[in-house]
Amino acid sequence: MANLHCIVVTPEETAIEEEIDFVTLPLDDGEIGIAPQHSPLIGRLGFGEMRLGTGDSAQRYYVDGGFVQVSDDVVSILTNRFLAAADLDAKLIAEQLETARSEPANTVEMMEIRDRAVSQARAQLRMAQRT
Amino acid sequence: MAKARALDKRRKSVRNIRKITRTMELIATARFKKAMDRATAATAYTARITQLVKDLATTGLEVSHPLLEGREQTKRSVLLVLTANRGLCGGYNSAALRLAIEKRQELLELSESLQLYVSGKRGINGFRFRKIEIAESFTHFDDQPRFDEVELLANRYMNAYVTGQIDRLDVVHTQFISTARQQAVAETLLPLDSLGGDDDGDSDNTARESMYEFLPSAESILQEVVPTSFKVKLFKCFLDAAVSEQISRMVAMKSATENADKMIKDLSMQYNRARQGQITGELLELMGGVEALDG
Repeated sequence: MANLHCIVVTPEETAIEEEIDFVTLPLDDGEIGIAPQHSPLIGRLGFGEMRLGTGDSAQRYYVDGGFVQVSDDVVSILTNRFLAAADLDAKLIAEQLETARSEPANTVEMMEIRDRAVSQARAQLRMAQRT
Repeated sequence: MAKARALDKRRKSVRNIRKITRTMELIATARFKKAMDRATAATAYTARITQLVKDLATTGLEVSHPLLEGREQTKRSVLLVLTANRGLCGGYNSAALRLAIEKRQELLELSESLQLYVSGKRGINGFRFRKIEIAESFTHFDDQPRFDEVELLANRYMNAYVTGQIDRLDVVHTQFISTARQQAVAETLLPLDSLGGDDDGDSDNTARESMYEFLPSAESILQEVVPTSFKVKLFKCFLDAAVSEQISRMVAMKSATENADKMIKDLSMQYNRARQGQITGELLELMGGVEALDG
């Protein structure tokens, strides 16, 4: 069976470039799993957990929004921040969540901005608590 | 002996200065390589974003986003100036500062109020010296600006723009054109004029049917692409500035070292001449003395 070639790029570096069997990504509206020979796809990523499956084991990472592009068994992931799940600091994130929640939201735009920050912090917190 | 010794002393101090400039050159070279690597890594990201935008364009989607819309009247504008924390890098800081002051004048005429944000101690001091008020200053962006830090700033500007607190954002930074050429430039980042930078005008692409499936939809992806490309653009400004700073310092220190070399050579020649003259004088005196005794 053909393998997937997975490339994770952040603005600072190419974080991961390796052969994998399977990848699970948090899309904007739910999780998606990508196996080899997936049809070409461009997706918007949400905040959440990404799992790279090689053999029986899986590595867990946090992705912070961005995009995924799949074509010819190459999965390119563009994200702003990319962390191994173990690197998330639950305490720090809880503080971020608090500040995000206490932001004022008087207009529609400001409400959108706040909601985004809150959901981002929540996704991080969920992951941090699970490890 | 007095003159020869004075020359020797000067030569010694020039030698010491040369050692320092030489070391600074080497450090700048190493830092430049590192900064350059980071800039290249960032290019990989921008290239992919550009590709993504191109793929999106094949769907014939109407591009509209709050960040792309210009304002009818520019009331509050923001100017961000990127300079270095340290000096001794040739004309790097002064060029950026000069352009920033010009741009500031221009913006003041255009808009009612202007907020000035400055990164780098040199720029802060430059504006303070001219008694120009700075809204906020940053000194933590060093030769390796981190995306997290830049993103915080980008988010602030983006939110301010979307909520109508600012109407325009301009950035003055030094653009890295090649290793031999860097130039201070002023760019308007908000409203964004294009996505992902270089549109090479691949018109043949538009005719082709897009082979991609868009999840959840092309519109939704576009909503995300616009802020991302703004962030990346701002980050690129910071990276460019960092690379240019190091290379300017490298060039400045290189020419300083060369200059010191030349000075050491000249001083050595003068010193040798003075010493020789002294010896000749002493010999003549000695011979005169001997002759006087004989006579």
